[in-house]
This record gives sequence, C-alpha cells and structure tokens, in this order.
Amino acid sequence: MKWRYLKQQIFFGLVRASALIVTLALGGIIFYIAYNGIGAISWDFITKPPTDSMTKGGIMPAILGTIYLTVGAIAIGLPLGIASAIYLTEYAKQGRIIRFLKVGINCLAGVPSVVFGLFGLGFFVIFLKFGSSILSGSLTLGFLILPTIIGASEEALKSVPQTFREASLSLGVSKWQTTYRIVLPNALPGILTGSILGIGRAAGETAPIMFTAAAYFTTKLPGSVFDEVMALPYHIYVLATAGTNIEATRPIQFGTVLVLVAVVLGIDLVAIVVRSYMRRNKRW
Amino acid sequence: METNTIIKLKDVNFYYGQSRALTDISMTFGKNKVTALIGPSGCGKSTLLRLLNRMNDLIDGTRVEGEILFEDKNIYAPDIDPVEIRRKIGMVFQKPNPFPKTIYNNIAYGPKLTGVKAGDLDALVEQSLKQSVLWDEVKDILNKSAMNLSGGQQQRLCIARALAMKPDILLMDEPTSALDPISTAKIEELIEELKKHYTIIIVTHNMQQAARISDETAFFYIGNLVEYNKTEKIFTKPDVKQTEDYITGRFG
Repeated sequence: MKWRYLKQQIFFGLVRASALIVTLALGGIIFYIAYNGIGAISWDFITKPPTDSMTKGGIMPAILGTIYLTVGAIAIGLPLGIASAIYLTEYAKQGRIIRFLKVGINCLAGVPSVVFGLFGLGFFVIFLKFGSSILSGSLTLGFLILPTIIGASEEALKSVPQTFREASLSLGVSKWQTTYRIVLPNALPGILTGSILGIGRAAGETAPIMFTAAAYFTTKLPGSVFDEVMALPYHIYVLATAGTNIEATRPIQFGTVLVLVAVVLGIDLVAIVVRSYMRRNKRW
Repeated sequence: METNTIIKLKDVNFYYGQSRALTDISMTFGKNKVTALIGPSGCGKSTLLRLLNRMNDLIDGTRVEGEILFEDKNIYAPDIDPVEIRRKIGMVFQKPNPFPKTIYNNIAYGPKLTGVKAGDLDALVEQSLKQSVLWDEVKDILNKSAMNLSGGQQQRLCIARALAMKPDILLMDEPTSALDPISTAKIEELIEELKKHYTIIIVTHNMQQAARISDETAFFYIGNLVEYNKTEKIFTKPDVKQTEDYITGRFG
C-alpha cells in the first residue's frame, strides 16, 4: 500500500516537473527578450528606417514588410485551404484516393520550411520570373501555411452537425447552396481560429522568405508586389550574423526580436479571443 | 395508377454496402392520407422513408433496386434531379434541427434560395407558421434565434420550414420521439389538420400514436413489409400473428 502511494507521488512529481519546465522555458525566453529588448523600443524605432549601416535608426520597413508578406500569405493560403477542405470533407467520395491525399497534406505540414524556401526560389522567383518580391514571398508562405489551414478547416467543417446539412438538403436546396449558406458560415469561426495560428507561423518564418522576398537592406518602401521588402525575421538574422557591427547592434537585435514576438503573440491572442467568442455563441 | 395513389413502390431492394436493408418492398401510399410505418428498431422503416425523398443518396455505398414512382415517374431514373424531388417531398426529422438563424430566416431560407420573391417572403413565413400553429407564440420574436425555442416549438418550426416549400408530401421520421407528452399532443393535432392538404408518411415507435393519427399502417420486420392495411384493421384484427405480437407488445 505504502509503496503504491509512493509510486503515485513519484509519477505525479515527474509530470508536474515536466509542466514546470515547459512553462519556465517559455517564460524564460520571453523575459530574456523583453529584458534585453525593451530598452531599444521607442516611437522612432518602430516608425523610422534603419540608418548608419543598420547600426542605428528604426525597423519600420521590416515591420511593414512582415505585414505585407503575412497579409499576402493569408490572401493566398486561406481561400485555397478552405476550398481544399470543402472538397475533402463535403464533396469527395471517401476512399483510398482521399486517404492518400490527406496523408500527402500531412506530409506537406512536416516539410522543413527551408525546403519551401527553395521551392519558392525555383518556381516563383526563377521559373515564373516573379523575382525576389512580395508576390514570391507571399506565395511561398501561403503554401507553407496551407496544410495548417486545410487541417483547421477540415476539423471545423466536420464539427458542423450533419443534421444541418440534412435539414437544408431536405428542403430541396442544392448541395453547393447548403455548403455555402449553412455549412461554411457555421464553420468559419473554427476555420479562422485554426488558421490564425498558421498565420502566426507565417509571420515568424525566416527560411521561406530568405530566397524569395526579403531584402538585406532597403530604405525604399515597396511600390508594387514585385518589389523586395525587408522583413522582421530576416532582419534579425542579418543583424545577428552578417551585419556590419554585430556587437554594436545587439540592442537593436533584441528590440527587433521583441517586436516580432509581440506581433506573433498578438496574432495568437486574436485567435484566442475569436475562439472564446465562438464558443459562447455555439449552441448545438 | 389509381388517382388516389401518390407514391408507388415496385420491388424495391435497398443495400448498405453488402447488407440488404429492405427486401422486395411493393406498396402504394394514398394521397392526402396519413400512413404510419411501424416496426422494431432496425426494421428498415426509416430507411424506406428516406428513400422516398432520396436522402439516402447522402450515404456513400448505398444502392437501390426497383422503382419508386412519384406521380408516375421513377424518382431514381437517371434524368431526375434529387433536389427537385426534395422540394416536392419535404421531411421532418427525429430531433428538431432548426438552423442557428432567426425564426424568420429558418422559414425563409428554403424559399429564398429557390426563387420566391423577397416581397412574398413575409406572407409566406406568416402562412407557414400559422399552418404549424406556431404563429401566435413567435409572431413577436421572429428576429430571435430559433435555438431559444423549446423542443416542441422547434419541431413545429421545422414543420413550418418544410411547409414553406409547399411540398406535396411530408415525411416525418419519429417527429415526437424527442418531445414531452404535451408537445407530442400538439404535433399530433397538427398532423390531423395537415392531412387535409398534404400526404403524410410518418415513422413512429409509439403504437398509440400510429393508432390515433394514421389512416393506414404498415408493419415492417427485418427489412420486409409484413402487413399493410387500414390502421383500424391492423390494430384490431391483424392478419399476421407477428403483427399482433408486435402491436400488443409481446416483442419489439
């Protein structure tokens, strides 16, 4: 009896320790970044371009570039992903081909992001001649987050009760209208929550944009989707590895990291708010 | 076909994959009659009901043999659009399933998408809700969510929703099994009223209900139509021993 109790205590202890380590690691990272980066943050830092070979000034072009690339990735990934999920859950005859397709999509989710970057370089930048541009970068990031969006959308579509579909179809409403008017609106909050998490990832990725969109340094703001942009993750990479004076730019590096983390956490926060709002309104 | 027949089944077999759910069913349904389908769970009565408006099409791997004639046309003929069939043959389900929309939009949804003019919708919504005897209870809350209604009200809303499409036939799949006795009584009164204008085919597990509301009763057992006759006859002097055993509660 006593030994059994002791075993239980040991096991609980281990589980607790694991949870604690994870929390501490996350908290530690965020604290470390905030502590070192907060000093660099100022109004000028987020509204001015870099100066003096990127050792002074702000990071405004990089913030703007990241916003452009992320919005572009959403514009490409979301419609494509939702459409794919609608096909997979609503229209496709469930069978071997669909199972194979789903395995393919899951594999796509596991492909390293640098591979996406190389694909973007080969296909969008060189073959389609889009050059290193917002367009190439957005397309690459859009494909990167596609599996996440498809997965989230599939789950959300499946969670819409079958009885809604039956009710609509039994009225003599066509399948497409049922999907568009009943299934999709009820799945949309779920689709968006899942997708926003993917979008957070798109904002933070370095490798896919390194070859396809990101400029080392430019003070010129982009005039069209065919222009290169600076981006926060790549800017950090540049400052930390290839800048003109790596030691002198440490505060700027931390400041940039802090801004990036804030942007990504901000997007995650939106996801959490949307989700709780959705759960409150969900009544079936 | 006789003039008072609206649906005629000829040697209908139905399969889920390899397993046969209905065996050689031949029967006719009378126009403006209430026909009750009874039998123990899994006897195929719900399957038969869902065959009549092609709702079984939604299930992968099902197969129909034989003919189901609606107004002399086989509804399973290749040139028939199931969407058109469902407009003429409406359905009410076991569990009330209103859309998460307002009461008004629940009713207006179908007509709006099938070409009823926006100007005619108000009148149609009112008429449908009056037909399902729900109007007085909801006329002031038409813009509130249908999810706030009670189960019985929701089911009458679903009936109104089906009626708004002006169908010829109303299929009801155990429409009161999820409701309390008072709501059930209201639905039964409603069926009594509706049969003046509609053909109603109802699946029920409730023997008293079948006896109370139907003109004809069909008893099914493991995919076979065992006995089909006037309700009065089935419930007083059934021809088959199995029917009697089921009705009197000896099995099922």
